[in-house]
Amino acid sequence: MAVSLNSFLLLSAVLFGIGMAGFLTRRNLILMLISVEIMLNAVNVSLAGFSMHLHDMGGQIFAVFVIAVATAEVAVGLGILIALQRSRPTAHIDELTQLKW
Amino acid sequence: MAFAYLATASVVAAVLAITRRNPVHSVLWALALFVHVAGIYLMAGAQFLAATQIIIYAGAILVFYLIILMLLDWTAEGAAQRYGAHWVLGVAASLGFIAVMVFALRSSRALAGRQPQINLWQPSVAEFGVKLFRGFAVPFEVASLILLAAIVGAVVLARRKTPLAQGTGTRSQRNP
Repeated sequence: MAVSLNSFLLLSAVLFGIGMAGFLTRRNLILMLISVEIMLNAVNVSLAGFSMHLHDMGGQIFAVFVIAVATAEVAVGLGILIALQRSRPTAHIDELTQLKW
Repeated sequence: MAFAYLATASVVAAVLAITRRNPVHSVLWALALFVHVAGIYLMAGAQFLAATQIIIYAGAILVFYLIILMLLDWTAEGAAQRYGAHWVLGVAASLGFIAVMVFALRSSRALAGRQPQINLWQPSVAEFGVKLFRGFAVPFEVASLILLAAIVGAVVLARRKTPLAQGTGTRSQRNP
């Protein structure tokens, strides 16, 4: 069964938009990180779709690298969250204003 | 038909993941999203990518999120404001992004004419491995460096800094 490239790209755009809305509207740091994961997944969907469309393995390989970078981002992001938690027991982004002047 | 189900389920799961008040529910909906996206990878002929998605995203990353959620105290989270003051702007920006993307898809001449042809391309995982280790060996090694840096960075960030442990040595050496 064949699926057209357009449906992959449309799904990717919608998922990216949802992740973007979540990142811009939610005020909880963990939910913002999850929104970033949703956006990375959306990009991977379009990479896989192009890989299928062009009969080229490069898209899939690039998507695997994106997953590796996403893993690194999660490790560092949650490490920062734990470090923040020591000084200020909240994940609410409006209360983290130490760097504001 | 399978693609329609997977696409609908992932969009619904993504919307639920970003709108739930309880962070644990959000993480579980994100898990549903990632499993469905793995199915979409399978439909694109990316078997290795689907396996990686399940193992890394559903297996490692989301468990990590859940551990962090259970480690920290979220009692104040229920009373906190769920959305920021400018949530209308955020939703409008994302809807605008989707509209621009749909417009670009519709107006692209390279894509509009293509009918979904029978997809004869069925790549194997072996083909993927050969391509990864022949053509992309250097980026592969760079990715391992990035992961090493992230591991060290996460340990340094999350380490508890007591006055004794700061500076040199570990706490057990300085504080028997």
